[in-house]
Amino acid sequence: MSENHLEHPTPKKYVQIAIVLGILTAIEIALYYTEDIVGVFTDPLLIFLAVGKFIIVVGWFMHLRYENKTINRFFVGGMILALILFTIVMVERASANYL
Amino acid sequence: MSNSHSYPHEPTGVETRKLGMWVFLSTEILFFGTLITTFMIFKGSDFPGMKLTDVYDIPFTSISSFILLMSSLTMVLAHNALEANDQEKTRVWLLATAMLGAVFLAGQIYEFTEFYHKGFELTTNIFSSSFYVLTGFHGLHVFVGVVLLLALWAIGQRQKGLTLEGGMNLEFVALYWHFVDIVWIVLFTVVYLI
Repeated sequence: MSENHLEHPTPKKYVQIAIVLGILTAIEIALYYTEDIVGVFTDPLLIFLAVGKFIIVVGWFMHLRYENKTINRFFVGGMILALILFTIVMVERASANYL
Repeated sequence: MSNSHSYPHEPTGVETRKLGMWVFLSTEILFFGTLITTFMIFKGSDFPGMKLTDVYDIPFTSISSFILLMSSLTMVLAHNALEANDQEKTRVWLLATAMLGAVFLAGQIYEFTEFYHKGFELTTNIFSSSFYVLTGFHGLHVFVGVVLLLALWAIGQRQKGLTLEGGMNLEFVALYWHFVDIVWIVLFTVVYLI
């Protein structure tokens, strides 16, 4: 079926993945309300959880992990370009504030 | 998505329409990446007499986020049902996805209305403008997705139903819908939680 011969998940597996996504969302909300306790680790943890959810949806629900490398390159390329743009603008803004 | 067969007659080895869809999604990443960057620049701009925490309703938005997340599950189940040629289940899951999307949209309209009543309007300051442009464009994408889902559901109602060839169309709508979901995963964290 697929280029790398990985079998697509079954409906039961999809439900399990959705439960994991729900749990990760619940952890995010809990982190928001416990910011005073978690402190400086709150934002990095929230970003880490969002990235995890993003990868799960793209990899399993969008089936990117089963797809052709060409498709992977296009999608990851778009992500990298967006991250470069974000980094350049934020660095520029930070240096403008510093000056 | 699942139609990851090899296409030796295509120069790229990938079905051209499918590759086109992924390229489109790649450009959408850049579009939302630009909007998110703009939002981050202006986040925390002066907002006299009010804190952001006074405006946001995190419990409400959390439920909305959960609903959109679960719509990705119903979408993938619709796609799975079509692969098994189960027309009835395909239609049910498609309709469920459209309904969950509509509930999310209704929640967003309610949220915007509440924000306006609290004085957080489109023209309040540059931050509020960037907030409404970013979340509004996402809402517009959800609306388009709901229309596409309902169109597919209506096509599925015909006697012929959704075919495997038509399944490629369902596949494209599914990709679009999951994309809308991943954008919200980022927005929920960046806009509301951080």
